[in-house]
Amino acid sequence: MRFFVMLLFVLATTTTMAQSTLPAVDKSPMDMAYYPAGYPLLKVGDKATEPLLARVIYSRPLKNGRVVFGEMLEYDKVWRLGANEATELEFYQNVKIGNAKIKKGRYTLYCIPSVNKWTLIVNKETDTWGAFKYDEKKDAVRIDLPVEKMEVPVEALSMMFEKAAKNINLIIAWDTVKITLPIYL
Amino acid sequence: MPKIFLFIAVLCIVACNEGKNDNDGPTTAPAAKKQSLNVKVEASHPYAAVDLSPMDMSYFPVDYPHIKHQLQDLPLIRLIYSRPQKKGRTIMGNVVKYDQMWRLGANECTEIEFFRPVTIQEKKVPAGRYTLYCMPRKDHWQIVLNKGLYSWGLDIDISKDIDSFTANLTTTTTIAEYFTAVFEKTDKGANLVFAWDDTVAKLPITF
Repeated sequence: MRFFVMLLFVLATTTTMAQSTLPAVDKSPMDMAYYPAGYPLLKVGDKATEPLLARVIYSRPLKNGRVVFGEMLEYDKVWRLGANEATELEFYQNVKIGNAKIKKGRYTLYCIPSVNKWTLIVNKETDTWGAFKYDEKKDAVRIDLPVEKMEVPVEALSMMFEKAAKNINLIIAWDTVKITLPIYL
Repeated sequence: MPKIFLFIAVLCIVACNEGKNDNDGPTTAPAAKKQSLNVKVEASHPYAAVDLSPMDMSYFPVDYPHIKHQLQDLPLIRLIYSRPQKKGRTIMGNVVKYDQMWRLGANECTEIEFFRPVTIQEKKVPAGRYTLYCMPRKDHWQIVLNKGLYSWGLDIDISKDIDSFTANLTTTTTIAEYFTAVFEKTDKGANLVFAWDDTVAKLPITF
């Protein structure tokens, strides 16, 4: 009975939504991660001991029982590193990634996943969609990062920043794969 | 058709989540943990769960990232906000209380970025990034632009308010389940359109 009521409710609501032109909620919802991690909540609680250094805005596709790397996503092809709007990495001060100096500002993140390493790409073209118009000439830096395998898979693509001894790391994890991008201040 | 299945799936997931506290209340809850959609999160992982009120982004020109290569121009406005749900509740005067500050979203403060100067109700607004919040009245919404950034909920320093503007309200027969903010093109610029439940608020922006 409860299921039936719910189904009716769902159908009713779906009909309502179908009539309107408002955008539906994304299948791969957007999210944000900060360095310092959880910055807005730290700030609100007066617990922020460092200024805001970086923010990533990305959409979170789900594994949904699939093998993500090498099956759903082909190896050795540029991937948007998210879903929908391109993944945006913003620095609030100049930083260094690999050998490249990266000026403060907004960038788009892409990657080329392969079995044992990912090539992570920081690109200057912002406010774009997917990787359909990816232009290598606008790269700010490319860096090869080793793949770390995890036993327990991560369901939703996840990104978080963490503090390391001499730098900060952007951790990217999905399915059984984890990548660490070192960012030097 | 797949969109409808998707929507049903999302609703079912959300229905399963009933009984948990919501995260879209108009009050400030700094210590409140973000509530999440019922996506499996392994205890062994430190990663954040998927939010119950998912974040979304709206551009003007509408759908800019899709069409930017035809436009060869910069975007004009970008809004980043989170989308709480109606979930059977009356929103105006109930979930969103009249004459109390409301965050115009959920979780992180709603952020608007103007990529060039704009004019709102004859007031010039410099290009830049702002926090957007609302003072809902019965017959209109007062939309406030604030120079503070990267905050949470309603923890907004009102001494950093830049200006406030009047958004007119209409009532519709169609119901917006998720709080929605989009831009629509007008002769002189764009309307920032907010829709939730049976209420639609429009803030005209010119440029």
